Amino acid sequence: MNKVLNPIPPRRSQYGVDPGFVKKRMAEYPEMKAIYLRELFPELPQVIFPGENGLDKVRQAVHKELEKVDMSMIGPEDSVNICASHHGFTLGGGEPYAELLKAIKDVIEEKTGTKNIRLRAGVGLRFRETEEYIKSFGLDEYFDGQAKGVAPVDEGIPIETEIGTLYGLKSIYDADWIVHAHNSDVREVHFHRQVDRAVKPFAMSYARIDTRSTYHHNLGPRGANFTARAIFSSDFVQSKFAFTAILEMSPLGIIGVDADNDLYSLNDRITVSGCQNYGKVMTLLGEIDECIVGLDFPCPVPYVFAGGVIYANFVGANVDLFDLDNPLPPYTWYTEAFYDSKGKPLFKETPPPNPAIKMVVHNYAWAGYPSAFFSEHIPTIVVGEEQANLFREDPQNLSYMKHSVIAESLDAAMAFAYRGTGTDKVIVFDGAAGGINVSKSLYELLKVKAPEVKTRVDEKLFPKWLKQRGINPEELNKKNEKCR
Amino acid sequence: MRLVKMIAQVDMDGCIGCKICERICPTLAMEVVEGKAKVNFELCLSCGNCQQRCPEEAIKMVKREKPFTVFVDPEQVDKKEIERICARAKMNPEQLACYCTETRVKEVVAAILLGADTPEKISQKTGIRTGCKVECIQPALRLLEAADIKPERPEGYQWYGRTPTIWDITDEIKELYSGRGFYFDADIELLEKIARQKENHEEGKNE
Repeated sequence: MNKVLNPIPPRRSQYGVDPGFVKKRMAEYPEMKAIYLRELFPELPQVIFPGENGLDKVRQAVHKELEKVDMSMIGPEDSVNICASHHGFTLGGGEPYAELLKAIKDVIEEKTGTKNIRLRAGVGLRFRETEEYIKSFGLDEYFDGQAKGVAPVDEGIPIETEIGTLYGLKSIYDADWIVHAHNSDVREVHFHRQVDRAVKPFAMSYARIDTRSTYHHNLGPRGANFTARAIFSSDFVQSKFAFTAILEMSPLGIIGVDADNDLYSLNDRITVSGCQNYGKVMTLLGEIDECIVGLDFPCPVPYVFAGGVIYANFVGANVDLFDLDNPLPPYTWYTEAFYDSKGKPLFKETPPPNPAIKMVVHNYAWAGYPSAFFSEHIPTIVVGEEQANLFREDPQNLSYMKHSVIAESLDAAMAFAYRGTGTDKVIVFDGAAGGINVSKSLYELLKVKAPEVKTRVDEKLFPKWLKQRGINPEELNKKNEKCR
Repeated sequence: MRLVKMIAQVDMDGCIGCKICERICPTLAMEVVEGKAKVNFELCLSCGNCQQRCPEEAIKMVKREKPFTVFVDPEQVDKKEIERICARAKMNPEQLACYCTETRVKEVVAAILLGADTPEKISQKTGIRTGCKVECIQPALRLLEAADIKPERPEGYQWYGRTPTIWDITDEIKELYSGRGFYFDADIELLEKIARQKENHEEGKNE
């Protein structure tokens, strides 16, 4: 068995407790081991990051990919907004995404002659999060003081779409051209269902509250991401859109960079790789019969991740989230909205949150995202009064602590969790790269289950997922070959 | 229902009177007077929008001496009226309108029936839009519309307008994209089923 992998270190942020309060990480326990994803699924693609000279490789990949991208529409006097999202900074510690943004700027400058290149970095629900990343990765200096965090409550502009008027953020579109800088990490499968994944920021981090609320209340659990397609396809956005460049992700890390003038072609490519690579890890995690979950990562509760899978998706791992025949995932905002005041689902077929999760030890995770659903449905122990107070005072988590208990230390929390659940299987969502930190017992279970999962995904689920999304992998390969 | 424990506090030396806080406050609790932001003690529901967007970082959230709760009891109004408006909006009275404050649709409708004719007044009475500040503007606007109220927009950019719903998707669009993973008709069926669901599940009698 392998020694544990290093968890992502705590990050200083107004949305989390001071790193000094994180006295111990779950990976420090002697019963914890790392299971490498490559042991489970040897066919997962090779990564360029993490690894030796990883950042250089990211930069080289950006330069190489952007060679094939047409930038002739951008004149030497034109202004360009490189549009980014907070999520990219949570991958691999954030440096690779920062490097992608810097390299895109350099290539645009080289190829077009324009110096008027700005960074516009959108957020989720923590309005200063990207301001923190901009400072932390020196992006303001790199963009000559032209880097700006934007939030969904900022001034908007109407965008006429084929389904009606939606609203974008004025400062995203206040340039002659926009460049979409993103990543292919599947992340919120419960929301976007791996349909138009690459397009989503047009309805989220680049959009006004009016639009984001449309996504989560107006279009339904499987129609939601059409909000993004409607905005992106609008005449207004098309008149400004230059190209997309993304970090290509797998559960192991960054496997490359992809770029294209045609966002929908790129989207098809990442739909395939996301289903194939993340689909296996998610399906495997759905095989866990019982466990204690550790949250131990500088992100809000649902977004802490293990093996490339976010906790919110482990909460839904008892259901195939990629299968669009399943209308409501165990957790998504539509699902949450459809529990009544007595805690019963209004739709009787609503699947419960993953019953394999017997208890959650919240050692370190941020506030700044409505997370009460998790502690209301799953027994939760929060480590430390400081963290409990952070949640009590967070306007988005008014009830999180109502449903949680507090332990003075991680040791006390773990002792309680072991006693209370009777299981010795532990999985830690701590962002470890290349594998998952788990207890020995869970290590053994995952090893045993992986071969059958691989066969099931490859032979049955993967073809079904692609068919549901209208993608024929053979045709896609031919199209990609032509482009090359 | 919203428990209010904090309040915004402006650093007068740092405030530059830019009015951003005034333009984004969902309860209209901020007003710039003589070049400085002022907080309305009663209306501030501690959402933190101003603190998060102040370009000078001149606003902080501090504890109130006396926390209080805002809540509209749906029992105060005619249940049939609530059901009628919810049915028009295609929502279930029991479903959540706001995830952060756990405010249900029936409470929002009760606030409307008791005179809240703008999203801001609904927020002042129920607390919705004072958690994440992002996700629940559309339920408020849809319910106002279902009550035949056309709200006046405030001078800022608290909100812009009611946006499309799944029922606005045309057959042409459905046909064009249903093969690409958008299950519009199936979702309409699901949402309508949930909207019609009655409060009888305690006996296990789901529709």
